[in-house]
Amino acid sequence: MARFFNSMRDGIGFDLILVGAAMVFLLALAGLPLVYNILMSFQQVDMFTLGDLFRPLAGLTNYVAVVNAPEFWLVTKNTLIFVFTSMAGQFVLGFSLALFFAQNFPGAATIRGLFLVSWVMPGLVVGAIWSWILAGDFGVLNTILKAMGIIEAPIFWKSDPNFSIWAVVIANIWLGLAFNMLLLSVGLAAIPRDLYEAAELDGANAFQRFWTITLPMMRSTIGAVLSLGLIGTLQQFDLFPALTEGGPANTSNVAGYWAWQMSFKLYDFAKGATISVMMFVLVLIASVVYVRSTRHEVRG
Amino acid sequence: MQFTKLGLLAGLALGALVAATPAMAQTVVKVWSIDGIDRPGIADTFSKEFNEQNTDIQIEYRAIPFDDLVNETLRAFATGNAPDIVSFDNPDFALFSSRGAMLDITDRVKASEIIGKAQYFEGPLNSVSWDGKLFGVPKYTDTIGVFYNKDMFAKAGITEPPQTWAQFAEYAEKLTDTANKVYGATFSAKAGEEGTFQFLPIIQASGGGYKEVNTAGAAEVLDLWKKMVDNGWASKDVLTMGQWDSTGTFNSGNAAMAVSGPWEIDRMVEDAKFDWGVTLLPTITEGGERSSALGGFDWGIMSTTQHPDEAFKVLEYYVSQDNRLFPEFGNLPARGDIELPVTGVEKKDAALKVFQEQLQYAQPRGPHPEWQKISKAIYDAMQAAMTGQMSAKDALDQAQATIKGIVG
Repeated sequence: MARFFNSMRDGIGFDLILVGAAMVFLLALAGLPLVYNILMSFQQVDMFTLGDLFRPLAGLTNYVAVVNAPEFWLVTKNTLIFVFTSMAGQFVLGFSLALFFAQNFPGAATIRGLFLVSWVMPGLVVGAIWSWILAGDFGVLNTILKAMGIIEAPIFWKSDPNFSIWAVVIANIWLGLAFNMLLLSVGLAAIPRDLYEAAELDGANAFQRFWTITLPMMRSTIGAVLSLGLIGTLQQFDLFPALTEGGPANTSNVAGYWAWQMSFKLYDFAKGATISVMMFVLVLIASVVYVRSTRHEVRG
Repeated sequence: MQFTKLGLLAGLALGALVAATPAMAQTVVKVWSIDGIDRPGIADTFSKEFNEQNTDIQIEYRAIPFDDLVNETLRAFATGNAPDIVSFDNPDFALFSSRGAMLDITDRVKASEIIGKAQYFEGPLNSVSWDGKLFGVPKYTDTIGVFYNKDMFAKAGITEPPQTWAQFAEYAEKLTDTANKVYGATFSAKAGEEGTFQFLPIIQASGGGYKEVNTAGAAEVLDLWKKMVDNGWASKDVLTMGQWDSTGTFNSGNAAMAVSGPWEIDRMVEDAKFDWGVTLLPTITEGGERSSALGGFDWGIMSTTQHPDEAFKVLEYYVSQDNRLFPEFGNLPARGDIELPVTGVEKKDAALKVFQEQLQYAQPRGPHPEWQKISKAIYDAMQAAMTGQMSAKDALDQAQATIKGIVG
């Protein structure tokens, strides 16, 4: 008995408790909803069966209906554009800023801290502010662009089908920039200074130092930033209702918002679940790629 | 023997307990609506009064934001916690009534001295009817017309408000003054219920309805709407603006005509620094058929209620106060037997007369249990045509195919 309690305090039992707690938490709060969601996508759901677990099976009809919806391919295209341009923008700008603030100039740390303000703001607030900036007739951005002589007529960022998705992308890049910068700054700070000194002595220029030291040393950080960026972008919701509501004509609609529209605007919970399952598969593929790409690296 | 004696005693004691309680008993009727969140509204005010006047029935009132009302009620119904009485936006009502979630009150209304079917306008009454039965009563109603800036009309040399959509577009061109940031017209072609609210009347006026949307007349007007936006006679933002924002640009003098409803009047009286009037929604051809949208909320008792009689009494109280809807809350009663009092504000009284006339042409959206999907097909088509993704005809044909799949 004493041995049992001993192992609970310090030994295999303790490990099991820790792992078990995490497993229970994961299964209850992530696993069950996930399974429930997948189950729901194969069922017929209406208001009388909303509270049930076992409902009439629908086979693949929900999936067929979602793929055959006229907006399916448009939404798919928009989702890809939104995810990849947002991630690229956040990453490239975030990395540039991280490198910039890694130079030790007076006030670098303070200004870098201030950048976090954008990350602290709720998405709905960011959306509302960008909604004013990007407004067509009386927007700030249009006024500036016009004053600089770049455009003649105002651009209707939110209402022009050619620009609507970019309106959300711009706001999302701004929103995620600070987070990217912060994580990458941490990665940069972890690279030993003497590597750079040695390279400099060997005559490597700034670009070579970046390419052969910074990037390889940052590999795991970059992988984490990108995968977190993917998840953050796919789950981005607040900006859509605040900016374009997926419109006009679904030209700025993405999978996450579409799933929400299906469930909570059209009350078609099964199709909402179906779209979420499709998104889940997408994330799964991305995670597999990420895990495989970082598997061989030596972590310190 | 001993056992039964004990049982009898226990039964008696229990009976005495039960008999003693009714004297104190109160029936609690749960009521949900969107009123009373930011300012006192109809349901919360009337419920409070009812509670003060009655001791045997007490209302437990809960205000729920507009966007959450249907979802919250669906969830509550599915888990057996539904309210006794609920107030829905009229196109949402059929989602519940068609599936037996609302109580059939046809016979109760027939026997009632306060609620009578005959007193209501046809449109609102249709929205609470399903399968020939009555599942609720209209709470209040509204509709849309065209507000126009009389000063700008005079400056442009236009004497009469537009009668047809072709005229509407023609005037919009004349009234547009880009230098002064004035658009000729504004309306809401938003991807949402508000967009359908504004476009469906055109489909109806062209001889169609929500089951038949691809009429030649509707395509013609949709082309006119696109033309107005393409040519800058209306802002491109009509594609994303709701009616409240759209009419805001009219109030600030940045649009000369606005399609919207009576809920705008009070703000307009305050904000608009010009002479304005209201006219009926244009027709498609000169002297053609009139139609308009039907807005407003309905009351209904949910079928799961344990207290149908008490709930109906509450409903009767609400309806008995209908003559206060306009003077106290600015809402139009959905019935023809209530004379609206003159407010003394000249523009407001004139506008109300037009809207009351317009109400005669108002038709409900649906009723259909899957109205939200039908509505999406309609506003998707409208947006696809106006952004040039498809021709107006193709877009409406596609909507028709979608709708056919829904209504069968």
